[in-house]
Amino acid sequence: MLKNIKIRINVLLLSLLPLSFTAVAELSSINDEEMSVISGQAGVYLSGEITLNENGGPIKNAYFGDCTDDKRCGARIAFQTKQNGGWFVLDDMKGSFSFQGLTLRVRDINSGFGGDGAKFNSQVLEIGLPDQIKVDKFQYTYATSSTARPSDAGFQQTDIYTVEIDGDITMQGNLLVFPTGNN
Amino acid sequence: MLSGKIKRLVTIGSVSALLMCSAAKAELASLSDNELSSVDGAGIGMVFEDFVFNAVTDASNGQSFKISGIKSTKGEDVDITVSQLYIANAGSNYGETLNPVNLGRLVNPYEIELLDGNDIGLDDKAILQFAAPKKIAAGTGYDCVSASAVEGSGACSSRPAGTDAASGEVIIGERPDLGLKLQVQVGANAPDSLSINAKSAVFDGSYLRLWGDDSKNQLVGEYRLNFYTPELSISSCDASGQSCGNTIYMKNFELELVLGNQFQPMSIGVTEAQDGSIQPGNFVFEIASIKDYADQKGYMANLPSNGLRSGCNGNTSCESAWDFFNGYYTNPDFKSNLRIGAMHIGDISGSGQNFGSAKIEGMTIQYLKMSSHDL
Repeated sequence: MLKNIKIRINVLLLSLLPLSFTAVAELSSINDEEMSVISGQAGVYLSGEITLNENGGPIKNAYFGDCTDDKRCGARIAFQTKQNGGWFVLDDMKGSFSFQGLTLRVRDINSGFGGDGAKFNSQVLEIGLPDQIKVDKFQYTYATSSTARPSDAGFQQTDIYTVEIDGDITMQGNLLVFPTGNN
Repeated sequence: MLSGKIKRLVTIGSVSALLMCSAAKAELASLSDNELSSVDGAGIGMVFEDFVFNAVTDASNGQSFKISGIKSTKGEDVDITVSQLYIANAGSNYGETLNPVNLGRLVNPYEIELLDGNDIGLDDKAILQFAAPKKIAAGTGYDCVSASAVEGSGACSSRPAGTDAASGEVIIGERPDLGLKLQVQVGANAPDSLSINAKSAVFDGSYLRLWGDDSKNQLVGEYRLNFYTPELSISSCDASGQSCGNTIYMKNFELELVLGNQFQPMSIGVTEAQDGSIQPGNFVFEIASIKDYADQKGYMANLPSNGLRSGCNGNTSCESAWDFFNGYYTNPDFKSNLRIGAMHIGDISGSGQNFGSAKIEGMTIQYLKMSSHDL
């Protein structure tokens, strides 16, 4: 057994030698104590901004414009619940969201949660919610329509209501995601 | 000097590589055929830990949340401003104090899963299910309504805040306070405010199942909403929220609403005219008729004339028709219930009026079609 290990080290020595020559200036040695605290479980911290059709989308025609005229410049999502039926539409979606501090990491849970943690004793994907989401003039219109696209023949649409959100929304906490068995 | 450094580095590198190999080996274990057969990607569990949600309208802070585009019968614009929408731990004092709450339990989470239709009476269908925590055997969980329920008092899994008896750990609670405050302005009239608050809400046993119906070529579903709260209150005030009318309090409110089932799926679509052309602007919501299903299966034609199973005189198709309807009418899963422990108007502790309790139980929907129309 010992012999085997020795051979393996020799092979590794050979393979690592050319690498270590080039990298030597950057590297410094670490002792056992320092090594013992290293593990590959650091998460990800995200901040970002999502802007939707601030200056209109790529399509310009009789219906869609560039937000400077009276045409619609937001994005449009149409979905149908019945074959050859009418369409539910989220129309004129535009605005932006920005957030700071959305975190992603894998967490081992084996305690807490009022006794559930010990019973669960497993790993979860933890999405740390950003606390505050800044919403800048996000809006959409909910409508029903006869066709998916405004350019389709026989297009008719009735807007039902419009939602507009501006300012900060509080969203604190962690979303824990994990696979569940078939129960 | 340099060679000594390299030697040390290489040794550390190779030792760490070896350590990694042995560590990885310890994590892996082979699965037997038996173990493999029970593996499937059934679903995704989700738990919100220490969760608070709050969206408000506050003009001084540049915050707004509005719903517009609705018109009154006189053609005036109806502007709805969402003054506050919150989800926080019980004890929020109607959205004043927002403390974190857990939604779902690690051992019984909110789930998105794919169900095998054969298991729930929908042959050869894959069903997408969004489910709240499931109910558990009566007497092993917590009372669904009481905000101070203790273990062993009911069938709900979500717990009020307290201490877990077995582990001694603190339970922050899985029952949120929910609230929605709206300000409604019709035309140039002075705005009114409407506020709906639920304390210590429980949704255990609720689910939405969706699948495709081959004969209708339509997305259909089954929706069950269980909503329990010790207090649901509705109040109306002027815009400043100062001058309020009497609040309606519903104590120990229990709603178990069933829309659709495997025989009568519900569907929602955009209105069609008689000639099949689409008339947009309105929607139609339908729960299929049980008679249609029974006709299709041949049950209607085979029922005993006197309504008794003994009236079938041993005819098996008659007996299966009778058994089908007997099962349909006795299955509690197909029935909707609404129970209000007590309805108070005005000050709940003092001079308010108590209208007593109200119950609607065992309601079965045999057929429902609702369509919206322009006025």
